[in-house]
Amino acid sequence: MKQYFNVIFCLAIALTKRFFRDKVAMFFTLLFPLIFLVVFGSLFGKQSGARFNVAIIDQSQSAFTRKFTADLKKSSFIKEKAVSALDDAKQKMSRGEIDTILLLPPEFSQLNANHQPTGQAVVFYNPGSAQTGQTFASIIDGILGGVNETITGQKPLFSVEQRSSGKAGLSAFDYIFSGMLGFALLSLGFFGLTNSLPSMKKQGILRRLRSTPIRTSQFILGNALNYLIIGLTAITIMFIVGLTVYKFNMQGNYPSFIALVIIGTLLMFGFGLAIAGWAKNENQAAPLANLAAFPMMFLSGTFFPRFLMPSWLQKIAGLLPLSPIIDSFRFVLTEGKTLFDLGPQLLIIGVWMVVIYVVSFRVFRWE
Amino acid sequence: MTDLILEVSKLKKRYGKKTVVNGVSFEVEKGEVFGILGPNGAGKTTTLEMIETMRPIDSGQVLLDGIDVAKQPEKIKGLIGVQLQSSAFWDKLTLVELLKFFGSTYGQHTHPLTLLKEVQLTDKAKSTVETLSGGQKQRFSIASALVNQPKVLFLDEPTTGLDPQARRNLWELIKTIKSKAITVIITTHYMDEAEELCDRVAIMDSAKIIAMDSPKNLVKKLLAKGFKKTRRVEQANLEDVFIDLTGKDLRE
Repeated sequence: MKQYFNVIFCLAIALTKRFFRDKVAMFFTLLFPLIFLVVFGSLFGKQSGARFNVAIIDQSQSAFTRKFTADLKKSSFIKEKAVSALDDAKQKMSRGEIDTILLLPPEFSQLNANHQPTGQAVVFYNPGSAQTGQTFASIIDGILGGVNETITGQKPLFSVEQRSSGKAGLSAFDYIFSGMLGFALLSLGFFGLTNSLPSMKKQGILRRLRSTPIRTSQFILGNALNYLIIGLTAITIMFIVGLTVYKFNMQGNYPSFIALVIIGTLLMFGFGLAIAGWAKNENQAAPLANLAAFPMMFLSGTFFPRFLMPSWLQKIAGLLPLSPIIDSFRFVLTEGKTLFDLGPQLLIIGVWMVVIYVVSFRVFRWE
Repeated sequence: MTDLILEVSKLKKRYGKKTVVNGVSFEVEKGEVFGILGPNGAGKTTTLEMIETMRPIDSGQVLLDGIDVAKQPEKIKGLIGVQLQSSAFWDKLTLVELLKFFGSTYGQHTHPLTLLKEVQLTDKAKSTVETLSGGQKQRFSIASALVNQPKVLFLDEPTTGLDPQARRNLWELIKTIKSKAITVIITTHYMDEAEELCDRVAIMDSAKIIAMDSPKNLVKKLLAKGFKKTRRVEQANLEDVFIDLTGKDLRE
């Protein structure tokens, strides 16, 4: 018995040494998910609310409008784009460089009979992104409402107060991070062994191994242990980058998180193992791995949430093996739940785990 | 029948309609170097692989050290060392690391440096397999087949593709192994190699053994039939000239 596990352990050590000496493999397994993380992290990372590229055209140039535009430019939701004239601004908007144009016409801020400034600002928007224009217009409306209040001294009868429903300090990045971790495990499991094992068969490395007393189960478990080490390394690196660069807000406890990483790695590895163990060469393994990984890459909630899909698709997508893993990451990392709260997810994971490892052991071929 | 280490009887293997090994029987004594000769496709490798537990046996029986190969393949694997014709080793691991790993699969503590010394690869201990020359690779392959101190060593065309110096060097190594009372079973295309190394040879053609004896006796039998070479045999051949000119030193 001790000898049985010793072989697994020695195999895992040998394989792990090879991995950390293989710069190409390290790049693809450790750095590749990190590149995705950086791309998506930069897209969602620091942004805490809407922010618009706005061209402000002040045709009035009165003391009031100058003060008003200067205050606007300071606010966090506006990024001013310099333009020369309205036509120039419209052209830039048609190219997507500018979201909306705020026009303060010449008569804006003219005094009325009560010696109070009046006027109507115009918000131009691209018909292609009407929502953006409407949002921006209502923000400006709100600001002008505040100005009205100050000048007239009258409080409106009804008003709205905005409150965030999320937990304190959760950013968009915190929500996508779980998807990125899932994506890393998917690519590690599906594209690691399916690249290396068939070529080991072709070269005759597995033939040589098979002439030793090593058992198929020992070989499989040794590889699984190797991928567990690689998976934990990859996730640790991603996690550190998430925490330091993108200020990830960890809500959950680490034991549950680590347990999830281990479960997730083993499940994804099982799929790579089934494909790589069955395939005689790379030409069989690569297309099959792509075919199997593709639906999960888009439907399991890696890059966009599943609730955006039609409900029939949500139901199917929820049963894909990666979906409960990403859901569990999200529950633990952003909602502070533990493994014990994840019954439904662990059930789906457990069923897949049994199925895929039974299949793997059945279809494994040494040559 | 004293001290038989290997008894092969009526071994058969079919692939579809083609019978690649058809009723092969032979016996090997302890400490012998036994050669299996034959043209490509004669069934040499398939015969070896069945004995080595690498291929299922269709019919017939193989007893190695008295143990039935088909019934106790795990036990057999511990008793034999195998150098396969088309096999390879992991890259990016040093020779020492590879030998340690292979040793672990037998549950044995190995002494990689002693093994490497035996095959003259001490100075390559920290190199990886991909940096070795053809002859060095074959010697390492033999070292890896010796990690479990086997009773029988199988060598499948160990000198194919090697230059004359590397071949001679490998012959010396095989003689050293024989001197340690390890039985060696070897396949080859080279008749000079068989004459040099083998105590007895079996000649295979079209899935069957068509002759089996010591190289000397086989030659005697042929001469007895009145065979004469068309050309007069010189006391040396071109290979002797080559070795005389370039020396016996290994080039690697």
